[in-house]
Amino acid sequence: MSAVTAPSRTRDLGLIAWQIRYEQRAYWRNRGRGIFTFVFPLMFLVIFASLDKGAHIHSLRGIPYDDFFVPGILAYGIIATTYVNMAIGTAILRDQGVLKRMQGTPLPRWAYIAARIGSTLVIVLAMTVITLALGVAAYGVRIRASTLPGLIATLVLGTAAFTALGIGITRLIPNAEAAPVVVNLTILPLTFISSVWFPPTGMPKVLVDIAKFFPIRPLADGLQHAFNPLTTGAGFDGQDLWTLAIWTAVGIFLMLRFLRQPQGEAG
Amino acid sequence: MATTDTRTNELAIEVRDLRKSYGEVDAVRGVSFEVSRGEVFCLLGPNGAGKTTIVEILEGYRTRTGGEARVLGMDPAPGHRNLRERVGMVLQQSGVQNDLTVAELIEMYGRYYSRRRPVDELIELVELGEKRNTRARDLSGGQLRRLDLALGLVGDPDLLFLDEPTTGFDPGARRQAWSTIRSLCDLGRTVFLTTHYMDEAQHLANRVAVMNAGQIIAIGRPEELGGRDLRPAAIRFTVPEAWSLGDVPDVPCEHRSLEGNRVLVVTREPVTAAQRITTWALEHDIDLGHFSVSQPTLEDIYLELTGSVQENDQTVQEVVR
Repeated sequence: MSAVTAPSRTRDLGLIAWQIRYEQRAYWRNRGRGIFTFVFPLMFLVIFASLDKGAHIHSLRGIPYDDFFVPGILAYGIIATTYVNMAIGTAILRDQGVLKRMQGTPLPRWAYIAARIGSTLVIVLAMTVITLALGVAAYGVRIRASTLPGLIATLVLGTAAFTALGIGITRLIPNAEAAPVVVNLTILPLTFISSVWFPPTGMPKVLVDIAKFFPIRPLADGLQHAFNPLTTGAGFDGQDLWTLAIWTAVGIFLMLRFLRQPQGEAG
Repeated sequence: MATTDTRTNELAIEVRDLRKSYGEVDAVRGVSFEVSRGEVFCLLGPNGAGKTTIVEILEGYRTRTGGEARVLGMDPAPGHRNLRERVGMVLQQSGVQNDLTVAELIEMYGRYYSRRRPVDELIELVELGEKRNTRARDLSGGQLRRLDLALGLVGDPDLLFLDEPTTGFDPGARRQAWSTIRSLCDLGRTVFLTTHYMDEAQHLANRVAVMNAGQIIAIGRPEELGGRDLRPAAIRFTVPEAWSLGDVPDVPCEHRSLEGNRVLVVTREPVTAAQRITTWALEHDIDLGHFSVSQPTLEDIYLELTGSVQENDQTVQEVVR
């Protein structure tokens, strides 16, 4: 028998980088799943922004509508590229038996998930850059150095929360066909009450309070806060960040439970 | 102690009193066998007999309810990485990343193993040369199955599990797959095969274990299984209309019968009996139609072995599905 080299940390990190390359290749090649989730939020950005050209929001002390809407779209884009992609993608890989096959290889399960998260981060980064570039170039949004720390903190926590939740929710998705239904059921109603698209003007207080409890509102609000020209300070919204941090913890807990469940054993 | 170690080294798989229950149903009920290094071992049985449950326990996908199992000297249950480095698997159903091409997939999976076979060599081995830059989603069922085989071999495994590897193959593709599998054994690799194709077991296996309803009911070389080599042979021929058994010469036999004009002679001395019958026919210028001598086939033995316990099978099958 020829000897099998002992696995080392360096080799595992190399394997993660290797796997990210192939995950990326597969993602951008799939026009249906990959590119459309990416194009969707940008399409909304262009459509909504042209509908309300030059408008101002009175309930937010007259700030330009675009300063509210561009970060709102960014929040939606992050959710689409992390939570939606991860949940539907994982459910499909599980149904097709790819997860089972991967489990039979020497690639450690944590390394495979790390690579899929890594690949998602590349996509989130691309989405963020394109949305903000479009916002700055076409809609007069300004990225201010003063609120940059708040912006980055919200982006990082939001991405972490929704990526982990996307993997964790897979346990509640019985099969790939059910995935879009479960995902939309958890996302769409909250999106409407979370002031992602429209300011909360005239919305019942109870709905606002419900939305604050879930992670979509804090992500959108945190980003909107950082882009609000009237914001003073570093752009941190303590309550938003706390809520996101708690949901990140919940997501990681669910994700670890998913990771521990072996593929192949029934139930 | 030393003797135990040598023994373990010679065995690729060792299973003792293996059990697996799904709730109330016992899918595997106390199975024991050993597979030597370099052997092609075949688990044969009807659907739902417990074949896949055993394979998946040995592959580390399922946990056993009771008994002992060793694969390459290791307990398969925790799914040790060292074990996965040395074991290849062709599962009954498992997909691939559909947006990657044949060559990309072999390359990608190969990197996970510290020992691996070259991409081009594998593509050639499974004859997917023309499809090397085709995405997996555009492959036919048979081509996907061959890709499965390539991915099972990519880590140059010491032990290869093949769970019904040629289901859905056309006869030509099956012959090709068989020769690939046999060439593996020439390299000293061990193959653990499950199938419900009799001819596959016959062609490939050094030893066959017949399973039914969660138990091994016979185990041995394909030509000896169920005492096949010791069974009497059957001589069959037809005689002219309106003949009786008394018109046929006496030969040493277990029993003989006449149905219509078809004669059946069951004998342990087929050579002597056949010689006497044919000599008699030639001397008397009698035309013996459809003359044949046959040993019971593996299929005859298999049907005989599995036939008796068929009813219990249904429940297990339903639960496992």
